[in-house]
Amino acid sequence: MSKNKTPTRPYLGFGLGLRTDHYDAVIKQKPDVDWFEIISENYMVPGGKPLYYLDKIRQDYPMVMHGVSMSLGSSDPLNQAYLKDLKALIKRVEPQWVSDHLCWGGVHGKNLHDLLPLPYNEDTIAYVADRINQVQDTLGRQILIENVSSYVSYTASTMSEWEFLATLTERADCLILLDINNIYVSAFNHEFDALEYLNAIPIERVQQFHLAGHQNNGHYIVDTHDHPVIDPVWELYAHAVRRFGAVSTMIERDDNIPPLEALLTELDHARSIAKPILEESVA
Amino acid sequence: MTALEQLQTDFQNFLLTLGDSMDEHVVGTTKFGTQERLAVYADAYRLRLLEALEDNYPALHTLLGDEEFDRLGRRYIDAHPSSHPSIRWFGHKMHELLREETPYRSQPVLSEMALFEWTLRGAFDAADESVCAIDDITGVTPQAWPKMRLQFHPSVTRLNLVWNVPALWKKIDQDKAPDKPKAEEYPASWVIWRQELQQFYRSVATDEGWALDAMIDGQNFGDICGGLCEWIDEQNVAVRAAGFLKQWINDGMVTSINV
Ligand SMILES: [Fe+2]
Repeated sequence: MSKNKTPTRPYLGFGLGLRTDHYDAVIKQKPDVDWFEIISENYMVPGGKPLYYLDKIRQDYPMVMHGVSMSLGSSDPLNQAYLKDLKALIKRVEPQWVSDHLCWGGVHGKNLHDLLPLPYNEDTIAYVADRINQVQDTLGRQILIENVSSYVSYTASTMSEWEFLATLTERADCLILLDINNIYVSAFNHEFDALEYLNAIPIERVQQFHLAGHQNNGHYIVDTHDHPVIDPVWELYAHAVRRFGAVSTMIERDDNIPPLEALLTELDHARSIAKPILEESVA
Repeated sequence: MTALEQLQTDFQNFLLTLGDSMDEHVVGTTKFGTQERLAVYADAYRLRLLEALEDNYPALHTLLGDEEFDRLGRRYIDAHPSSHPSIRWFGHKMHELLREETPYRSQPVLSEMALFEWTLRGAFDAADESVCAIDDITGVTPQAWPKMRLQFHPSVTRLNLVWNVPALWKKIDQDKAPDKPKAEEYPASWVIWRQELQQFYRSVATDEGWALDAMIDGQNFGDICGGLCEWIDEQNVAVRAAGFLKQWINDGMVTSINV
């Protein structure tokens, strides 16, 4: 493989989403996880257990911060109070990087607590790129934006999701958290080719992968994060490693959470897929 | 209004009221039609918020049972959509809804349980502050006592409850069948707080409850002694008030003693 396929990006290895169910096991066993991703909002609280465990686990592991409420695509103004709290948490955690979703979560001051898709068109690109720039200025760092799973397509969309994501990230000069499962879910729901999506994403912008399980309802898939990663998603992951090289990879599990050991085994599976591909590419 | 704002307004209205505001905005496929696509979002919206309410109000959930709690939850979701970036604060008006609206207001134990659980939830992640040791007060000279004021840990909250909700809560928390809800003749005074990482609650005598309220409010020890005369003989007041202060310090409720 050519040299530019392994760009110099920070690489953390294989991580997990930090969940309260696993706090004690993580502290006692110091498991072989290279890093943890935290949901930022879970620690945007005044004090008590969440911050106690956060600080304790941070001493032993690198961390990245992943938000769900920035609402980058909302037509409401950016929530400056939220960004201030986020900045304070960044100062506390000193994460390797910070991410949120390419979506909107509410308008007119309401929060729907969902990751709602945007219409894929030029106007949205201009609007969201400007907002990402504002956030990057406020936080003083580049952010990663993640592709979400979606169930609707809008009449207002004029381009594919991958064109939208690629163009937007160039325009905003931000990085990408590519969720492999979300590509699979959206490809199934909207009947597009997941490989076409992957192959359109600029290599040098991708800094993190998400992997997760979902629920297949037959004629559509819901992104539930309550099952193990399925084989077709592992295949897509292998393809992604071949294309993007060494990208920090983690598994998200948010519901029906198994003992830590089960997730460690699943993470080893990710390692076993990525390792031979990466070794081959340096050889 | 921009096209984006219109789309988002219509989508939000659809999620909140389940009307047809999104029909024109969405395209489906033959195998996965428009209405079914929109329903995924509508269902997920309510289920996620219901789950948040279940997390915040486990004992209220047990008192009501699944079906009634679900009905209450959906009503709450419609009445008080979230406006906070974090779902952690979703449900903060539950005790008000239960207190004010039929059919719930005829069972005031429900509103009190919601208030009790929300207060415990608040103590769980209230700000961290280091607390005083008993030595900090024994060092205060007798002349300085009358003007002494206390600062309390951010988790410290006083409640007055007519119903036996702490007893009910305890049983439910231990996975035991709760007793029958019972009302006292007078409201009982309670204090809830967190020590290190653990939440605590205990009942306090009426005069202690009054004194705690007054000191949280910023009154000094002399004021407290004056006020306590309503319950106690004057010659016993200082000893009783000093006893309260020491108890609060031992409980880990006091963060500073200002003389
Ligand atoms: Fe994800």
